[in-house]
Amino acid sequence: MDTRSDPGAPLTPAVFAILLSLAEGEKHGYLIMKDARAPEGGGVRLGPGTLYGSLDRMMRDGLVAESGMSDDERRRYYRLTAPGRRALAAELRRLDAAVKSARSLGLFPNGSRS
Amino acid sequence: MTSDRVERIYSIALRLYPKRFRNSYGSAMLQAFRDARADRSLSHGVVARTILKDLIVSLVKEHLAMLREAFGRPALLFNAFVLTGISTILALALYAIPQQVLRQGANDPQIAMATDLAVYLNQYGVTDGLSQGALTARGGGIVDMAKSLSPFLIVYDDKGRALGSTGQLDGQMPAPPQGVFDYVRAHGEERVSWQPILGTGHGVRIAAVVERVSGNQPGFVLAGRSLREVEVREAQVEHMAGLAWIGMLALILFGTVAFGWFARPKIA
Repeated sequence: MDTRSDPGAPLTPAVFAILLSLAEGEKHGYLIMKDARAPEGGGVRLGPGTLYGSLDRMMRDGLVAESGMSDDERRRYYRLTAPGRRALAAELRRLDAAVKSARSLGLFPNGSRS
Repeated sequence: MTSDRVERIYSIALRLYPKRFRNSYGSAMLQAFRDARADRSLSHGVVARTILKDLIVSLVKEHLAMLREAFGRPALLFNAFVLTGISTILALALYAIPQQVLRQGANDPQIAMATDLAVYLNQYGVTDGLSQGALTARGGGIVDMAKSLSPFLIVYDDKGRALGSTGQLDGQMPAPPQGVFDYVRAHGEERVSWQPILGTGHGVRIAAVVERVSGNQPGFVLAGRSLREVEVREAQVEHMAGLAWIGMLALILFGTVAFGWFARPKIA
């Protein structure tokens, strides 16, 4: 269950980038950081502190779950939960609506009014 | 700087995070740091800037999160709020009760004096009574209201003009506000704290009891005395009540912080 105080609120860039990265499947910390840094992953430069702080809160909110750990505890693996997937979908719909609106206003450099 | 030294500095910096966070994620964070440094697609400058910014921001964030966990619990805050309310009421009572006792007690000699003189003047009238030495029989000389703490008497006629007194301020016989006489006409007696406006203004405040004199020559009797000593004691009481209040608030703050810290939620 999504236990955020306001489940309908827009996600922070860090949370969005983490959810988007985990939508592909289970990943460990550095892979998530790498995905988030890529433009298609949100273009967010996450450091280890921000990443694990966000993951800690996201686990408490039920958006992600820890799925495994290396024997030496150096690598922790995370996966998306059903509420996390719903939160990501809701955010993507919100962004999609914003993009459509911007496109209709001709705000994209190569776009045109539809 | 060698790779080992950089890693050591980062692992030392990790000790600055709250213990729970450090225990849960310290190893994983260090591994992510190693991975970032080993990533050939990133320049050392970009990694250094990202890590430094991340350290500053996330350290603040995690410490604030820890404080929220420890002290942001509704029950803890509600208890602190209730205790603060109780201590505030107690401090107000500590001030108000002695203050009222002191202030009411300040009227005691005047009540007896005013009643005694009013009974006498009821019998003889204010003018005749004064000419028969009603005041000289009750006062041992003129009281300087600005300096003396002794009680004094003033007799007024029915229009509120002073006819005689055993006390003076700047050589004059002060009169209370006109409304006081109107009230005494209707109710027979009034007790007031009053600051005479005479001369250079000594700031002297008087605790006065005013009684009605009826009969053929009606008027008023005022018995008063300076509140100077009472006000000094009131200030002491206020000071002590204020100190007690601050002490109680400090105790509540300390107790809340200590309880919040020792009873903070333990999350593995």
